[in-house]
Amino acid sequence: MRRRADVCLLLEGTYPYVSGGVSSWVHQIIRGLPDLTFALVFVGGSRRDYAAPKYQLPANVVHLETHYLEDALRGHQPRRVRLDGARLESVRGFHGCLRRWSGTRFDAEVEAGLDALLSTISQPKAIGIDDFLFGSGAWEYMRERYLDTCPSEPFLDYFWTLRLMHGPIFQLAKIAESAPEARVYHTISTGYAGLLGAFLERRRGRALVLSEHGIYTKERKIDLNQAEWIDALRPRTQLGIEESGDATRALWIAYYEALGRLTYRSANPIIALYGGNRERQLADGADPARTRVVVNGVDVKRFESALAARPAKPPRVVGLVGRVVPIKDVKTFVRAMGFVCEALPDAEGWVVGGTDEEPAYAEECQALANNLGLGDRVRFLGHQDVSKMFPQLGVLMLSSISEAQPLAVLEAFASGVPCVTTDVGACREQIEGLTPADRALGRAGSVVPFADPAALGRAAVELLTQSARYAACQRTGLARVQKFYAHAAMIDAYRNIYQHAMGQ
Amino acid sequence: MAGVGFSLRKLSGGTTYAGMIRLYASAGVISSGPWLISILTLVLVGALGRELAPSSDAVERFQVSVTWLFATSLLLTTPLQLLFTRHVSDLLYGEHDELATPSMWGALCVVSVLVGIVCAFAWQLFGAETLALKLVLATCLEVLCATWIVIVMLTSLREHGQVVLAFALGYAVTLGATLLLAPYGELGLLSGFLLGQAVLLLWSLRVVVKLAPGAPSMAWGFFDPSRVHLDLLPIGLCYGFGIWADKLVFWLDDEVSRQVLGPFRASEVYDFPLFLAYLAITPGMAAFLLQVETDYAERHTRFFKAVEEGGNLLKLERLRDELVDAARAAIVTILKVQGVTFAFCLVFGETFLSWFGISRLHLPLFYVDVAAVSMQVLMLSVISILFYLDRRTAVLWIALLLAVSNTALTLASLRTGALFYGYGFAIAASLTTLVALAVLTRAFRDVLRDTFMMQA
Repeated sequence: MRRRADVCLLLEGTYPYVSGGVSSWVHQIIRGLPDLTFALVFVGGSRRDYAAPKYQLPANVVHLETHYLEDALRGHQPRRVRLDGARLESVRGFHGCLRRWSGTRFDAEVEAGLDALLSTISQPKAIGIDDFLFGSGAWEYMRERYLDTCPSEPFLDYFWTLRLMHGPIFQLAKIAESAPEARVYHTISTGYAGLLGAFLERRRGRALVLSEHGIYTKERKIDLNQAEWIDALRPRTQLGIEESGDATRALWIAYYEALGRLTYRSANPIIALYGGNRERQLADGADPARTRVVVNGVDVKRFESALAARPAKPPRVVGLVGRVVPIKDVKTFVRAMGFVCEALPDAEGWVVGGTDEEPAYAEECQALANNLGLGDRVRFLGHQDVSKMFPQLGVLMLSSISEAQPLAVLEAFASGVPCVTTDVGACREQIEGLTPADRALGRAGSVVPFADPAALGRAAVELLTQSARYAACQRTGLARVQKFYAHAAMIDAYRNIYQHAMGQ
Repeated sequence: MAGVGFSLRKLSGGTTYAGMIRLYASAGVISSGPWLISILTLVLVGALGRELAPSSDAVERFQVSVTWLFATSLLLTTPLQLLFTRHVSDLLYGEHDELATPSMWGALCVVSVLVGIVCAFAWQLFGAETLALKLVLATCLEVLCATWIVIVMLTSLREHGQVVLAFALGYAVTLGATLLLAPYGELGLLSGFLLGQAVLLLWSLRVVVKLAPGAPSMAWGFFDPSRVHLDLLPIGLCYGFGIWADKLVFWLDDEVSRQVLGPFRASEVYDFPLFLAYLAITPGMAAFLLQVETDYAERHTRFFKAVEEGGNLLKLERLRDELVDAARAAIVTILKVQGVTFAFCLVFGETFLSWFGISRLHLPLFYVDVAAVSMQVLMLSVISILFYLDRRTAVLWIALLLAVSNTALTLASLRTGALFYGYGFAIAASLTTLVALAVLTRAFRDVLRDTFMMQA
C-alpha cells in the first residue's frame, strides 16, 4: 500500500536530518503551505552520518522514509546469472547514447534510449542488479570498456568504481517502485534524488519539479578535486598518484554530469535561486524554456524581535552562520578574524553552525584559531537559533568558496545586520541589488574576492567603525528583503508551481 | 604441504640429475613416507609373524583387522579432517595461533564421541570374540582416529619431518611389539599394534604441544559456520567413501570374500594386489608435492596478490595464464611419472608379487590396480587445485561421482566375472579424473571473473 500525498519531496542529504540553509528552506515551504500534504523521501550516504531529525516535522507531513546509498551493494548473494546478448545490447546502446548526448540538441534515438532505461530498469524482463553484479556478459563488457578507456589503471579501482556508481542506480529504481503516490514530485537537487525523480516521473506519469540551491554537479566536482580518498586508493601502483586518480575522478565527474542531465530532461519547471545558477543550468543541459528563477524568501516577522533587540552601538562581533564544512571555508574566516582583531583588539568571531558533519575539519579550524593566537577570540558555538544570535552580532561574514543564495544573509538583513561576503553565487545580488530598482536601494554590506582573508577582515572593520555607513547598510538590507525577498512571494510562487504541475 | 616444497627446492641445489633425484626422493619420503612405512611394516609383520604365531590363521585375522581398522578410521575421520585442516590453516594464516591446539582438543573430543558410538553399535557384531579382543579393537580404533587428527595438525603446522619421524618411531615399536607378542595369537599381534600406534599418537601429541602450546582450553571454531565452510563435511564423506567403495563392495560380497573376524571380512582375490599397488603411488605423490603444492601454490599466491594490489587487467590475465600453465605442467608431470611407474610395474610386476608370495594369477589385477591408483593420484592433484580455487561445490559433485561410479562399476565387475575385477575402481577413477579436468578447465577460464564478481 503506497502512501498518498499531494507533494512528494525527494531530499538528498538535507531535510530533516541535516540542519542548514537548504533544510530551513524546505521547512519553510512545508509550513508555508499547510493546506497541502507532503511525503518525504530522504536519501543519504551512510546511516552513520545521520542521527535524529533536526527539525520538528509539521503536521502536514504525512510520511517520511529514509534510504541509505551504502545499502545499494549489500545483501546480494552471488549466483550464476546469464546476461544474454539482447539485454546487454540495450545497455550498450544506452551507454552509447550517453556518450553522444550533449547540450540540448534533440536526438530522437538518445531520447528513446533514455526513456526505455528509465521506464524499464529493474522491471522483470529488463536489467536488474544481479545482472550487473554477476551476469556473465557483464564481465566481458566491463573488460571491453576498461581496455577502451583506461587500460593502465588498476583494474580493481575501475571495477569498484563501476559498482559504486551503478549500485545506487538500481537501488533508486527499486525505491521508485514503492515510493509514495503523489500528485507532483519535487526534488531539491539533481544527483541521486534527481535520478529518483526521473524514475518517478517516467513510471508514475506525474510532473517532476526541480529546485536547485547549490548546483550539485559543481559541488561534486569541488569535492572530487579535494578528495583525498581517491589518491589514497592505490598508493602502491607504479603510476604517479595524480595520474591514477585522474581516471577515477573523470569517471565520477562524467557520472554526476549524466545524473544532472537526466534530471534536467525529466523536470519541469527547473528552478534556480538566482540568474547565475540559471546560466549554469543551461550550460549543463537544461532546456531554457523550462527554467526560471524563484528567489529564497525570509519571514521578516520572525526576525522583528531580533531587529528590535539590537543595541544602539553595533557589537564588535563578527559572525559566520553556516555548517563547519570545507565549502564554507571557515579557515579563511578564522584568518580574517586575525586581521579584524589586529585592528579591533576587543572584537570576537563567532562560528554559528554544526560541527558534526565534518568533525576532522572542525578540529582543524579550532587548531588554526589556536595557532594564530585567536583561541579566546574565535568561538565555535555549534548550531543555534539565529534569531537569538543576530542581536549579538555586529556583522555577518560569509567566507564560502561556493554559495547559492544564502538564507543566512537574508535573515541577517531582516535582523538589521549588515553582511560581508565573498563574491560567489548570488551574494553580490543580495548585497548590491539585482534589478535597477533593487540597486537603487544601495548596498547592504561589502563583497570581496573569495580566499582573501585580508579583504574580508578590512571590510568587516570598515563596517564596524563607520557608524553612518553601518546604519545605511542596515536600512538597505531591511528594505531589500521586505521588497524583493519576501517569504509570502516565495510561498505564492511555489503554490502556483505546484498547482500548475498537478494539473498536468 | 606448500612450505616444505619450497625448502626442499632450495636443498636440491639446482637442476643436475643428482639434484633432481635427491629432490624427488625427499619429496617422496615426505609425501608418502608415513603410508609406505605402515604398509611395509604390516607386510613384514605378516611375513615374520607366520613363524612366531601359533597359526597362520591368527596372522590373517590380524592383517584383516588392521585393514578394516584403517578403513573405518579413515571413513569416520575424513570429513572432520578436511574441515579441521582448513580451519587450522585459516587460524595460522590469521595469526590466531593460540586457538590452533585448543581446536585440536575439540576435534579429538568429537572423534572420541564418534568412535564411542560406533563401538557401541558394533559390539554385538563381534559376539564370538573374547572381551579382551573387543577391547583391544575398540581402543585401536580410537587411537587410529585420534592419530589422523593429530597428524593433520602437524601437517598444518608444516612439521612434515616430525610426521615421518613419528611414523618411523611408532612402527618400529609396532614391529617389535607384534613379533614379541605373536605367540599369543591375534590378540597378541593386535596388542602389539595398539602399543605401537599409541606410541605414535602420544609422541605426535607431545610434539604438537611443544610447538604450539596454545591457550589452555578447547575451541570449537571448526564447527562455526561463519568461520569454516561446513560443506567440507559432505565432501570428506563422499570422497572417503568413494576411495573405499570398491574394497567394501568386494568385502561384503559372499562369493569373493569370507568372514575372518567378527564382521571383518577379507577378499583374497582382491586385497593383496591392491595393497601392493598402493606402494606405486609414491612417485606420483612426490610429483604432486613438488608441482602442485610448490609451483602452482606460488603462482596462485602471486596471482591473487596482484588482484589485491591493483594490477591492470592485462597483467592479471597474464598471471592467470601462468597459473594455468603451472596446473597443466603439474598434471602432465604426474601423468609422466606415473606412466613410467606403470611401465616399471609391468616389467617387474611378477617379481614383486613373488617377493610377497602372491601367485602369478593375480598379475592382471595388479596391473589394473596400478593404473587405478595412478589415476587416483592425478585425481587428487586436480581436486587440490580445485580447492585452491575454492570450488567446493564442484569438488562435492566430483566426490559424489567417484562414490557412485566406484560402487556401481565394482558391482558390475563382480557380475561380469574375474576378468574384470579391479576395472570397477580403475574406470571410476579415470572417469572422475576426466570430469575433474573438465571442471578445472572451466574454472580457470572463469577465474578472473569469479574472483571479482562472485563476492558476497
